[in-house]
This record gives sequence, C-alpha cells and structure tokens, in this order.
Amino acid sequence: MGDDIDEGTAFEFSGSWKEFLPIALTNLLLTIVTLGLYRFWATTRERRYFWSRTRFIDDRLEWTGTGLELLIGFVVVLALVFVPLFVMQFVVQGLILRGHAAAAFALGGLIYGALFYLFGIAKFRVLRYRLSRTYWHGIRGGSDDQGFAYGWSYMWKTVIGFLALGLLIPWSMTKLWNERWNAMSFGDHRFESNAFWGSIFLRFIICYAAPWVLMIGLGIAMIPIAMAMGNASGAGVMILIFGVFGAIYIALPLFALAFYAAFLREAVGAVKLSEIGFAFTARTKHWLLLFLGNLGIWLIAAIIAIVPLAAFGVFSGFADLQPGRDPFAGNRAAFFGMIAAIALPIALVGPFIRYRTWRFGVNYLEATGEVDLDRLTQSSTRQPGQGEGLLDAFDVGAL
Amino acid sequence: MEDASAPGLPVWHYDGRTARKRTPRLIASADGFTLVDELGEDGPIAWASLIAREASGADAVYGLKDRPGWRLGITGAIPPDILAHLPRAERYGRMVDRFGLGRSTTVFLVLAAITVFVVLSAPRWIAPYVPSSWERRLGDAIVGDFGGRLCNGAGGQAALDKLTRRINPKGLPLQVRVANVDMVNAVALPGGKIIIFQELLQEAESADEVAGVLGHEIGHVQHRDVVQALLRQAGLSVLLGGVSGDAGGAFNALLAATYSREAESNADAAAVAGLAAAGISPMGTAGFFQRLAKMEQKLGRASMALSYVASHPLSHAREKVFAGSAVKGRAYTPALTRDEWDALVNICHNDKDVKRGPFFGFD
Repeated sequence: MGDDIDEGTAFEFSGSWKEFLPIALTNLLLTIVTLGLYRFWATTRERRYFWSRTRFIDDRLEWTGTGLELLIGFVVVLALVFVPLFVMQFVVQGLILRGHAAAAFALGGLIYGALFYLFGIAKFRVLRYRLSRTYWHGIRGGSDDQGFAYGWSYMWKTVIGFLALGLLIPWSMTKLWNERWNAMSFGDHRFESNAFWGSIFLRFIICYAAPWVLMIGLGIAMIPIAMAMGNASGAGVMILIFGVFGAIYIALPLFALAFYAAFLREAVGAVKLSEIGFAFTARTKHWLLLFLGNLGIWLIAAIIAIVPLAAFGVFSGFADLQPGRDPFAGNRAAFFGMIAAIALPIALVGPFIRYRTWRFGVNYLEATGEVDLDRLTQSSTRQPGQGEGLLDAFDVGAL
Repeated sequence: MEDASAPGLPVWHYDGRTARKRTPRLIASADGFTLVDELGEDGPIAWASLIAREASGADAVYGLKDRPGWRLGITGAIPPDILAHLPRAERYGRMVDRFGLGRSTTVFLVLAAITVFVVLSAPRWIAPYVPSSWERRLGDAIVGDFGGRLCNGAGGQAALDKLTRRINPKGLPLQVRVANVDMVNAVALPGGKIIIFQELLQEAESADEVAGVLGHEIGHVQHRDVVQALLRQAGLSVLLGGVSGDAGGAFNALLAATYSREAESNADAAAVAGLAAAGISPMGTAGFFQRLAKMEQKLGRASMALSYVASHPLSHAREKVFAGSAVKGRAYTPALTRDEWDALVNICHNDKDVKRGPFFGFD
C-alpha cells in the first residue's frame, strides 16, 4: 500500500496557545517549588504537547521521552564533564600563580579542545535522542552511531571553516549537516542527505561582504556631511557613530539570518528518507517575522512585569531611603513579591518562544513522495538510555 | 472489511513492527483482552500491562511496556466495563499525578524551604570544622602576590604589624597587607589574610580610624565568616544551578548580600571589643564612618571609590555602636605614633616597585 503525500499539507501544527498556557503555567509553578528539578519533566510535557499537535500525513507524532531520562542525562554530564572541568580550572589557576604559564596555557588549551569535541558529540546525540523518542505510526527513529567520530569531524571542519577567513563556513556547515543526517534513520530506512555548499555559497558571499560594503559606504557618505558641518561638529560625528553601530548591530544579524535561511532551505531540501523528500520553505522575511514576534513576547512580558512593580513602588513609600539601609528590612515578603512580579512573566517568555519556534518549523516544513507503510518497519537501532544532558548543558537546540 | 455486527469494540492499532494502521476489534475478558482482525489475533494481553499514552486528538491511546511502538487507540466513548480496566493518562509526572497538583505543590514548597534553610545555615555549622591549613592554602591560591600590588614602603609593614598585634587579643594567625588599589575598602580573605586598599589609608585621618576598620576585618576572620561565605556561595550555586540562567545569578548575589549583614554587625562587635582591650579610642572609627556616609550622600552610591559602603552598609546605628562604646574619662592611647602612621600612610607611595594604575580584577 503506497500513500501519496499531498504537497504542502504533509506537516501541520494544530496547537493553540490557550491549550498550551496551562501547561506552561503549571510547569513554571512546579519548577519553582522543586527548585528547578522539575524542569526536565516540564521539557517533556512541552514536547509531548508539541509533538502530539503535529500531524504528518495522516497521523500525529508522539513524543515518548521521559523527564527521568533527561534528569539522568543531566547528572551524568555533570559528573563526567563539569565536575572534572571545575577541578581542572583550579589546577590551571594554581599553575598560573606558581608561574608555570606555559603549562597552564597548554592545559587550558586541552580543556578548551575537549569541550569543543564534546560540543560536536552533543550536537549529534541530541538529534539521535530526539529521533529515538519520536514515534509515528508506532515506528521510531534513531541511530546506531554514538557520535564519537562526528565529534572529531565537527572539530576540524569547524576550525577549517573559520581559518580560511570564514569563507569555508558554508562547506563545513553543509558537510556536518550531511554527516549528522546520514547517520540517522527512521524505522528501517536511513536518512540520506546531500546538501551542497555550492548552492548557498553566492548567498554566503553576499551576506559576508555586505556589512563591510555597507560600513565603508556609510563612512564615505559621511565624509561630505562631516565636512559640511565643519571639523568640530559633534552632530556629524554622532551620526557617523550611529551609522556604524547601526550597521553592526542591525545589519550584521540580518545578513547572518539571510544566510541561515538559505542554509536551512538547502539543508532540509537535501534530506530524503526512502521515497520521501523534505523541504523547508521559510525565507528570510519569515524568519524576521518570527524574531519580531518573539521580541513582541519579550515586550509584553516586560510590560506585565513593570505594572505591578510600579504600583508597588508608588504604594510602599520608598521616598526617604537612607544610604546603606535595606529598603526591605521591615518587609521580607515585599522583597520576594517584587522578585516574583519581575521573574514570573519573564519566565513564561521561554515556553512561548519555543511554542512559536516549533509552530514555525512545522509550518514551513514540507514533504513529497510516497510512504509505503507496509515496508516501513520498526527501527532496530539501540535506544540511548539517557536524555540530551550534554547539549542541555551547552544550552543549544537540535537544528 | 469492517463488520458492525462482529463482537468486540472497534479500535485502531499499530503493532510496532510495521507502520501499517490496523483496525481490529477488542474482545475483552476479566483480566485481559485480545485484538482480532483479518490478519489474525494478538493476545490475550493483560489489562495491567497497558500504559496510558498522550491522547491523539479525541482518541485515548495506550501502549505496552515491553513492546515499544505497540499502540491501541480508542475513538469515541469507551464502554464503562472496559474503561474500568484502563490506566489513567500521565499529566504532570507520576508522582505529582498520584498526590494531585495542589498537594504536591505544598509538599514541594515545604521541602524547598527546608533545603534553602539547610543550604543557608549549613555553612555556619560546617565552617568551624574546615581545617585552617585548607583555608590558608585556599587564601594563597586566591591572593598570590595580588598582581604585584602589595606595598612594601619603608617602615609601613612594621607599623601595620604593630597595629595588628595591638587589636588582635586572641592572637589569631593574621597576615595584614596594604594593596595599591584606589578603593576605600578592606577585605578579609581565607586563611587570616586581610588586605587594606591604599585609598582607605588616604581617607583615614589617624591610625585610630584604621584600627576600627582592621578590627572589623579581624572580627570576620575570628568568626570564620570568609569560609562560611565561600561555602554558602558554593551551596547556592549548586542549588540555583537547577533554576539556571541570569535569574539564578541575581538571586545568588542578593541572598549572599543580605546574609552578610548579620556577620557585619558581629564583626563590628568584635572590633569594638578589640579596640577597648587595646585601649584605642573608638571615636576615630565613628568619625571615619560619619565622614564616609556624608561623602556617599554627596557622590551617590555609584561611586567606585566608596566601595566600602557597597560591601559594608553604613548606618547611623553602626556609627553609634562605636561612639557608644567610648568610656568617658578613660585615657586612650593613640593606635600608632606619628612616625609609624606616616610610614603606614605612605607604604605604597614609598614603594618604587609596586604595580600602579587602575585595577579591575577585584571589587
């Protein structure tokens, strides 16, 4: 039996923020009262919701990961990576204080290299873990690769990408993407990825050169303005400075985004699973809207935080503050009330940004081709026992 | 294919081996069920081995512990005799579900309060048992030679050592140095190390004033406040590592800061006792604090030079503690002679080799 996929409707997200809000709120409550321990279960609940509201062809995805395995992953990483690192840091400091600068430098370099290597492994394993916990039609994904070789590959390809003035970044990104996905499978089918760096190189060159062109152009444009205003004109210099900083702080991320949008279109479009081809159609302007929306969420949270704070300030008579006196000395509860008024809205920003990002990803993800359900059989890959502790520790997402 | 008159409940099913969706009928019995369709039978399966999974739309979904991917989905209303056998879906997590959200929250809140209390007060119990040798080694590791900023101007260290001996009635092993840093401050570090920043000497008008400040830092050493603070910091960072991020860091600093105030007043009490035992007038120290408070009002809190105020909150109450301890009619002796005081004030100025310039690494 072969099911043809209707183009454009293969993936659909059907969640609603009203449905998601109770999840986010109770997650926050339980995370606070457990001093943060619940966040592994909170992550699991969030994912269960996202996955279950995501339809692929005729059925929903299912997230089967658990909070406990995320906790175990976290503890393992803490014990195997961060405790030794913490100790090593003292050794390095001690070496410096005793004048063995070269040894300290070498050891520091070794630690940095080890972290670099682990970061690569983490990027690999988070994908493997998430695929292994994702079920569709009772079938899951995974990988038999542990990602140790990928860690090396990640290290030297990233270094080469940056060494050549950053010009080989598209090459290293596409190569690493292919390596990651070629090691993954869903059911008994291997993913195949053949993203080609050449397809995005022109975009890369434009995005790479544009900020420089812009800055030099601005500088040249400012010369007549500055001259017209006279040598001592503060305003001309100010405009120049604003122009340069504007170019750096606004244009640079914009061009980076324009490149990343092109990269993901090429990368996802190059992935195949048996007879299914994938595509990701988000263009730079869509990404921009996503980020502007996220910024809006931040603003709303800030406003919600400021209102009770301002009211509190008005009513609590902070008028005659004395230097050195603790303004909350008489009322500890007010102190914690104020912290809560600020922290709670801010803490809800994260879940909603993750919600929007997931929705964004699903909305622009497409698939074409054919799925033979009878021939899609269960994955025989080994399921990792613990969660994505490593990448969780580095605080990065899967893609 | 489907026969409405056939016995059992129509369900949908994935066997976990292929992706093919099947629509068997569920034939229930007292302790299990069997799934039957045209391809064959699966069962009997015990009710007890079912686990509830995330609902798919309006459909209730169940899985089996030992058969990953095996799914049973029931669309629409479930007959009560079958429903009674089915497990309830997990919502917040197994433990929270069992006790309910409200009750779990209360229990967690109590546990959290106990944990925070233990972490905050444990340093006080543990600190006395930290061996002095560890503390000294830690102090050495932190301070080193303070980036070459420890001053050695002629006669200065001798004067400082004399002053230290006078107000150190318990004979604690101390190591007091002056650092060439332009901040009005003094700090106690692990292992009985006390560093006075040279700007404090410039602001002080007599050795009596420095004696009070030094006595205060000696009080911190005597109470082992430094180890306590380090332990507390370590405990809090582990605790708040769970919350993660900036909010955690901010909390950390706030908690540590509010806590140190208690230690501050104890250190003041020790300073007052030290001055009284040495026969040094506490009025100098009181005057010093008064001047600092006035300067602070003029310059505002942001002023870096007044970091003493930032780390040692000034108040009139504090000034009164020193002023109030003065005994009328008692013949106080100056903390140092005129020459000794001059040597101490100029300990950095007279040292040609000491490193100068702005210092950013310490506050």
